[in-house]
This record gives sequence, structure tokens and C-alpha cells, in this order.
Amino acid sequence: MQNKSLNIGILIIGFLTIIAILAPLVSPFDPSVIDQDSLLMPPSLKHFLGTDTLGRDLFSRIVFGARISLGIGLVAVGIATLVGLILGAAAGFYGGRIDGLIMRFVDIMLCFPTFYLILAVAAILGPSIFNIMIIVGLTSWMGVARLVRGEILSLKEREFIQAEKSIGASNLRIIIRHLIPNAIGPVLVSATLGIGGAILLESGLSFLGLGVQPPTPSWGNILIESKSTLGVAWWITVFPGLAILTTILGFNLIAEGLKKKLGG
Amino acid sequence: MENLLEVKNLKVEFFSNKSLVPVIDGATFFIKKDEILVLAGESGSGKTLTALSITKILPNSAIITAGSAKFMGVDLLTMDEKALTDIRGREIAYIFQEPTSYLNPVFTVGIQITEVIMLHQNKNKLDAFNEAKELLSLVKIKDPQRVLSSYPHQLSGGMNQRVFLAMALACKPKLLIADEPTTALDVTIEAQILQLLLDLKKTMGFSLLFITHNLSIAKKIADRICVMCKGKIVEEGSVDKIFDAPEHFHTRELINAYEKIGKL
Repeated sequence: MQNKSLNIGILIIGFLTIIAILAPLVSPFDPSVIDQDSLLMPPSLKHFLGTDTLGRDLFSRIVFGARISLGIGLVAVGIATLVGLILGAAAGFYGGRIDGLIMRFVDIMLCFPTFYLILAVAAILGPSIFNIMIIVGLTSWMGVARLVRGEILSLKEREFIQAEKSIGASNLRIIIRHLIPNAIGPVLVSATLGIGGAILLESGLSFLGLGVQPPTPSWGNILIESKSTLGVAWWITVFPGLAILTTILGFNLIAEGLKKKLGG
Repeated sequence: MENLLEVKNLKVEFFSNKSLVPVIDGATFFIKKDEILVLAGESGSGKTLTALSITKILPNSAIITAGSAKFMGVDLLTMDEKALTDIRGREIAYIFQEPTSYLNPVFTVGIQITEVIMLHQNKNKLDAFNEAKELLSLVKIKDPQRVLSSYPHQLSGGMNQRVFLAMALACKPKLLIADEPTTALDVTIEAQILQLLLDLKKTMGFSLLFITHNLSIAKKIADRICVMCKGKIVEEGSVDKIFDAPEHFHTRELINAYEKIGKL
């Protein structure tokens, strides 16, 4: 079966990932070297996405920014998925009081406006790439937990789980080896969507100055620097914006394709 | 001779609307070594639940409220969960009604048979895998190599029942509980599976608790028959006694129904 959205999505994300990994080879300039002679140059053959207010090559900055942004997206979603899987599986399988406790905790976490929670925590812990990965991860697991719980609730009544019990598999083994592999499809879809969300969140945080700190380039903080020169240098706003747009589009296409493929 | 399994006054209740509804109400029976005991009765009479209660693999809403199930002199119902997991699959094994839904859809047959072997025997993966292959030839599967690497949905129902039988017999159990193992299969496959079961019983020497609503099967294979009705064992005796001089009216009803179909 032809799965156009999955293929296009993988193509986009694969391309971006390769660029991010090969950043030092791909970028023509050092992303943090200041060149006094070429401030705010429009796109040209030498700087083909132009330069910023300090004369740094925008293309190189976006390429290095891809490392940070994709890295944060992957790690944050990794943390969120892991936490969500563990708590969701425990709630769904054991039910009763454990279920109540975990799901009420999920409700509480969902009640906080996440972005402000992240802002507050980032302000207290101090902004760093590492902190942002953890904060974003620990504030976005609730959806996964609910999803996994729902899947496990219906899966655990299936016959093959009873068969597993009958051959002498322990509860932990049944959860890890048999329930989670069967529930992983929708989780994968939501995780892929989550990566796009996490990158957007990081850009937003960086834009507010609580994310990745300059001079390290991330797509969000390239955008902050552009806001004062928007009238004279459109390229500093447009290109990082396009990078974010393309990445999120790529991940959403993968998610949609996976959904179709896994029949979710 | 000492009885292999002795179930006394077993009472199982379902938790529904904050009150307990009795489903099995004082079932008492025993199985001798090397014997085939058929538990017959109409659907809803509690046959399956009785079988599941023996090793406590009941659904969550069912509770065993009274009785004992002594297996080789030890009561299984008061045993702790860890010791029970060790007995399930190793000493007492099950085969079920619809083989395809009792196998995990996301793993190959080979992985699932290997799992049982590794759960109960101290063997490495390679040895276990080779043993799985031998087990498949034991249940008369002609091309074990292909079947091992197939997923349950790629195999027919009869094939899956053989696979499940191989899993159940992997650790040479002393008691095999077969819960309507041929009900979901067509007649020719049913005959093959029954013959296989009898042959294997002869060579491996396990006791068999066979659950069925089909008295013609009961007549063919049983040493003794227990007739179950509304959660009670209403009559027990040898095949001849049950068929020639049925005492309980429910037994007579079952026999009449079976003779009526025979006359069609």
C-alpha cells in the first residue's frame, strides 16, 4: 500500500536529521563568528540565507540550531513517553486505588496551564538545554498516560492475556512483554506528534528568553533576535520560521502515515 | 491410588452492583493420575470458571469465596501468587477454545513457545528455540521451521490449536486442562486434534480435564464424566453409568439433546 504522507514525512525528517548530524560539514561558516563587514546582509551567493545583526551567517545558525531543536524534541518526547507508558500501564493494569491515584495526578497536571508551569520552572532552575529537555518532558506525559491506560484496559481482558497467565507469566512480565507491545501503535503516533509540539514549545521558550541561551543557536532564539529588525531584514524572521514549520509538518506527516499504517 | 487433583466445595462469586452473585456453588470433584475426566454441561453452567479457578486465573471481578483445590496434596487456592505462577504452565497447563485469539498477535509463534520454555526451564534462547521446533513436530506440524516464524493470524485455527498444545506441553505438565479445545474448529480438524490429544496423553502420561458441552466427544474419550448444571456438579460417574442410567434430569436432558442431533 502506498503511504504518501509517511514517505514524505520520513524524507523531510531524514533530510533535516542528516543536516543536523553533519552540521559542521554542511555549514559554510562558524555559526557564532561575528563579521563586522557584513551586518544584516540579504540572501546572496556568499550568505545564501543572509546574515543577522552581528554579521553571523544565518544558514549556518539554522543548521546548528537544527541540532538543538531536534535534540530537545526527541529527548523531551522520549522522557514524556517513558513516564506516560509506565504510569499509564500501571493504572490500566492494576486498576482500583492505584488507577485512581495516578489518574487524579494526571488530572492535576492537566489543570495547570502547561506553558506557564514550564515558564515558572525554567525561571527557577535557570534556562539550559538540559533543563528544557527535562521540563518539557515532565510536563507533557499526561496524554500518553491516558492513551496507554485506555489501551491496556481493553487489552488486559483479551484472551491471550489469560493464556499468558495460564502458562505462568508474572504480572510484570505480562505488562512489559505482552500488553505494552500491543499498545505501542497509538503511542508511537502520539509521540511523533509530540516531537513537533516539543520543538514548538522550545521555540516559544527561547523566544521569551527562558530557553536556549545565546550565543548557542536554536530556532527559537534566532527568532527573538529578529524581532527588532523585522522591518529591514525579513530573512532573519522568515527562514527560522520556515525551518520550524517544515519540521513540524514532517513529524505530523509521519504521525498521520503511521496512524494509517498501524490502522489506529 | 492418590488423587492428582481434589477440588472440594469450590465457590466462586462475581462482584456485581456491590453484591456478590454466586456462579459456582459448591463444586466437588477429583481427578486420578492418568485419567481423563470430562466436565460436561450446557453453556453458562460454570465449567470454564471451574477450570480457571483451579490455578486462580479468573477475571478480576470473580472471587473465590470458599473451598479448596488440592493438587498433589497442596491447596492451590491458599498458595501465594509467586508459587502459583511457578505451577501454572509447568505442572498444570491449559488449552483454550479459540486458539487464534489466545495467542499474542504481535509475536511469532516461535517467540511464544520459546517464552514458556524459558519461563520454567533453565535454558538459553537457542536451546529453547530448538526445543520449540521439536515440540511442533511432536504435535504433528509438518514444517515447524515455517510455523515458528509465522504470526498467529497467518495460521489456521487447527494449526494454532496445535501450536497452543505445544506450548501447554512444553514443560511436561502433570495435568492438562482443555477448555472446549475443539469447539471453534471444523469437524475433520476436531477429530485430528482429539486423536492427537489422546496419543500425546499416552506417550507423555498426563491427566486430562476435558471440558465440553458435546456429549459425543465425552462418550468417546472419557474415563469418567462430571455433569455440571447451574454452578453445581449434579452427577458424576463412569461413561456407561452416565449414558445407561442417568440419574439427574439435567443429564437426561443433555443426552436427549445429543441423541436428537444424532437422529437428524
